[in-house]
Amino acid sequence: MSSIKFKVNGESQSVDIDPSTPLLWTLRDHLKKTGTKFGCGVGQCGACTVHFNGVATRSCLIPVQSVEGAEITTIEGLSESGDHVLQKLWVELNVPQCGYCQAGVLMAAADLLKRKPNPTDEDIDSHISNICRCGTYPRIRAAIHRAAKEIQA
Amino acid sequence: MNQVVLSRRKFLISSATVAGGLSLQLIPSELAAAPAGKAARELSPWLTIHADDTVVVTVPTPEIGNGASTQQAMNIAEELECAWDMVRVEFASFTREYKQPGSYAVGLQPFFGGHSTDHDRMPYTLQLGASARERLKLAAAKRWGVPPSDIEARNSVLTHTVTGRTLRFGDVAAEAASVELTQEPALKAQSEWRLLGKKQPHKLQVPAVVDGSAIFGVDVTLPGMVYAALLQAPVHGGLLKSHDADAVMNMPGVRAVVVIDPSKTPGSPVQADATFGLEGSELRSGVAVIADHYWQAKKALDALPVEWELGLGQFWESNEKIRDRQHQVLDKWAGTPLTKAGDVEKFEAAKTVEATYSIPFCEHATMEPLNGTAKYTADSLELWHPTQDMQQAFWVAADESGVHPDKIDIHQTLVGGGFGRRVIGDDVRTVVAIAKQYPGVPVKVIWSREETTRQGTYRTSLAARFKAGLDENGTLQALQGETCFSGMALNIGYTDMPYAAAGNIPNVRLATSSLPMHIMTGAYRAPCYNAHAFTVETFIDECAVAGGIDPLDYRLNLLSGWDPAWANCLKVAAEKADWGRPLPKGQGRGIAISNWPHSGKPQAGATVCAVAHVEVSQSGELKIHRIDFTFDCGRIVNRDAVLAQLEGGIIFGLNMSLNEGLTIENGAVIEGNFDSYPMLKMSDIPDIRVHFEALSGHDRFAIIGEAPVGPIGPAIGNAIYQAIGKRVRTTPFRTHDLRWS
Repeated sequence: MSSIKFKVNGESQSVDIDPSTPLLWTLRDHLKKTGTKFGCGVGQCGACTVHFNGVATRSCLIPVQSVEGAEITTIEGLSESGDHVLQKLWVELNVPQCGYCQAGVLMAAADLLKRKPNPTDEDIDSHISNICRCGTYPRIRAAIHRAAKEIQA
Repeated sequence: MNQVVLSRRKFLISSATVAGGLSLQLIPSELAAAPAGKAARELSPWLTIHADDTVVVTVPTPEIGNGASTQQAMNIAEELECAWDMVRVEFASFTREYKQPGSYAVGLQPFFGGHSTDHDRMPYTLQLGASARERLKLAAAKRWGVPPSDIEARNSVLTHTVTGRTLRFGDVAAEAASVELTQEPALKAQSEWRLLGKKQPHKLQVPAVVDGSAIFGVDVTLPGMVYAALLQAPVHGGLLKSHDADAVMNMPGVRAVVVIDPSKTPGSPVQADATFGLEGSELRSGVAVIADHYWQAKKALDALPVEWELGLGQFWESNEKIRDRQHQVLDKWAGTPLTKAGDVEKFEAAKTVEATYSIPFCEHATMEPLNGTAKYTADSLELWHPTQDMQQAFWVAADESGVHPDKIDIHQTLVGGGFGRRVIGDDVRTVVAIAKQYPGVPVKVIWSREETTRQGTYRTSLAARFKAGLDENGTLQALQGETCFSGMALNIGYTDMPYAAAGNIPNVRLATSSLPMHIMTGAYRAPCYNAHAFTVETFIDECAVAGGIDPLDYRLNLLSGWDPAWANCLKVAAEKADWGRPLPKGQGRGIAISNWPHSGKPQAGATVCAVAHVEVSQSGELKIHRIDFTFDCGRIVNRDAVLAQLEGGIIFGLNMSLNEGLTIENGAVIEGNFDSYPMLKMSDIPDIRVHFEALSGHDRFAIIGEAPVGPIGPAIGNAIYQAIGKRVRTTPFRTHDLRWS
């Protein structure tokens, strides 16, 4: 066990934990931030995507010891009150079906828009490698394009 | 209280005051007249209007992403005339239904997460909304001393049309609870609907999904909760031979190592009433580690020495062996004929077509891995579960715990993908078996992705053989078929295929047989139909090609005189997809049509048709350019919700046909995670065009979530044939060598 200190959504956290514990389970079990989802545990599906020092990262693959001192943003901290442009459009365009993968998709999409405010279809394809079994991909794409337009307006 | 006849059953709608508001419930008439001295029925609200205007709709169905809960709320809001943004939904508990039968069990499979817009359910919810609206109007009329006919209800506001005075619903909700209606109001004509068929609200749970506050099964957090990780016999039906708990008991956080033992199931203390019966929900032998945190449990489980008695299933050494054995069954043509006309043996064909198709086991791969939480004490059980059917889960829990159902409390969570995986309740049973051995605290059991994949209730594997006799014009005159199932067998889309039902093929014989295996199977989005649509629609295409007739025309001829919506779906899809316009070599279009769940009945179920436009490179790389899709489910109440289900179903059908197939090696499922069981991603999705023009307007609101998985695979396979002349008769297509020169 060791004490790991890092920030989650701007708040300082100190966790006494097995340092090999993945960030995903640290967030979910220890800090009770269950918005970040467990999907595969091997970095394939992206349901566990968070921002690690501002970069979209699959939290199931990162031992918590490697986030010492880092800033982590989870879906709960993507915006003050669930009103990030993507969150608003996700609601307006009824993007989610079961919704389980969507926190991860939103975190990946928010990261994409930060880097490429006006992404092409190819940018979306290469940046959003998350898996959605319900098949919401067409709406994810549409919502990202709409968000890009709204940001520019 | 007045009786209302809904779907041939009589109900009373009764009101009560709840927390300063109005609450309505449905009570079956035969239960309403409680004998004197018997305790009054407890309130089981379907609908509550609070003093702050909030409308809470209680839904018996889970929400698996298809919008079933939102749909029920829409029905109520349509007649209630409340503002839509005042509506929220809560899940009913089956516990209440058990204690007070009839509280929520109305309609077919009332606690099953599907059939969202089923005609069977709509009348109840519409009538509840209408009843509440009338009570509110009467309460306002009384307060103002005016005739109720002068009052209009709209957007949660009651307006006295003569003076313009207004009251909010919440202002009179409590008074409305004591209003006695002389009769239940008549429902609006569909043409007067303002919400249904007009508005397209998003699912009510979406805001909670996008801010991370939505609670799925795996998110349940309770005081004192511990976590369990589990491993079950790699070959279904195998048994745990030995394990060494001492080797991991000293690892950090580990509290217990428990055995999952199928021989210890005590059985329900009273007759169980599970929606789908208990068969298939049996425990699978295994072992679980319980720890303070999930990661600790998982690490200890990975370190736990375990030996298995693999059982007889291990003799199924490969997929090839399974396929060979299925084909051997088909070789005998000895199956049970279920559909017969004329005499297939007597017809002397000018040309014969014969083909055999094979379908593998497939895993649902719900994004939320299997999980559940239970707290067991000596005489009680409380569960929190992402189930697709609470009634099923409740009775499985009773059967595994031995706790009297009076002492079982079940809570429905959101469901992170269902597709049939969370129906039968084997997951519930496993959770209970583990929690029972660590009583007094809630135990959350989480399957790893690998365990979720390997302990599935898969799509049935099957093989199908068809033999057709064509006359000199290429017309289908004799059709013989047999399907051999390895697993749960349903014939929807096969023995009731419209080509037989329409009566244009004089000689038909469609039979079924089985090759039982140890692999557990179950419902998987449109069970078995998802395979029959491929075998039937590919074979019809092969007949068309053999007869030298365009595959679209061939189908239209076979369906002449049948429900014209089928022909219309075919024609519209073909027209939208530029059917017949020449394509360069290596590209092709294919068409397919099917219906769930009523292939053999005109004007029933959802008829769906797809045209796929594909390209195959010379090196064999398959690219789907476009899917044009038409459908007829009669009418629709939420266009966007229907579109979402069609998009999702099309993509599910794409994944199933292109990618999915489990590898059985010595009885065990080899694939574990998404690296070996691939899922389509953003970049793989073709241009999907859903066309609404073929909707017939027939007076039905048929279910739409399952049908679209059917025609996608055969449309693509038929397009591959048109593109390169190779016929694909098995899925997944990614395993085929499609090179050409």
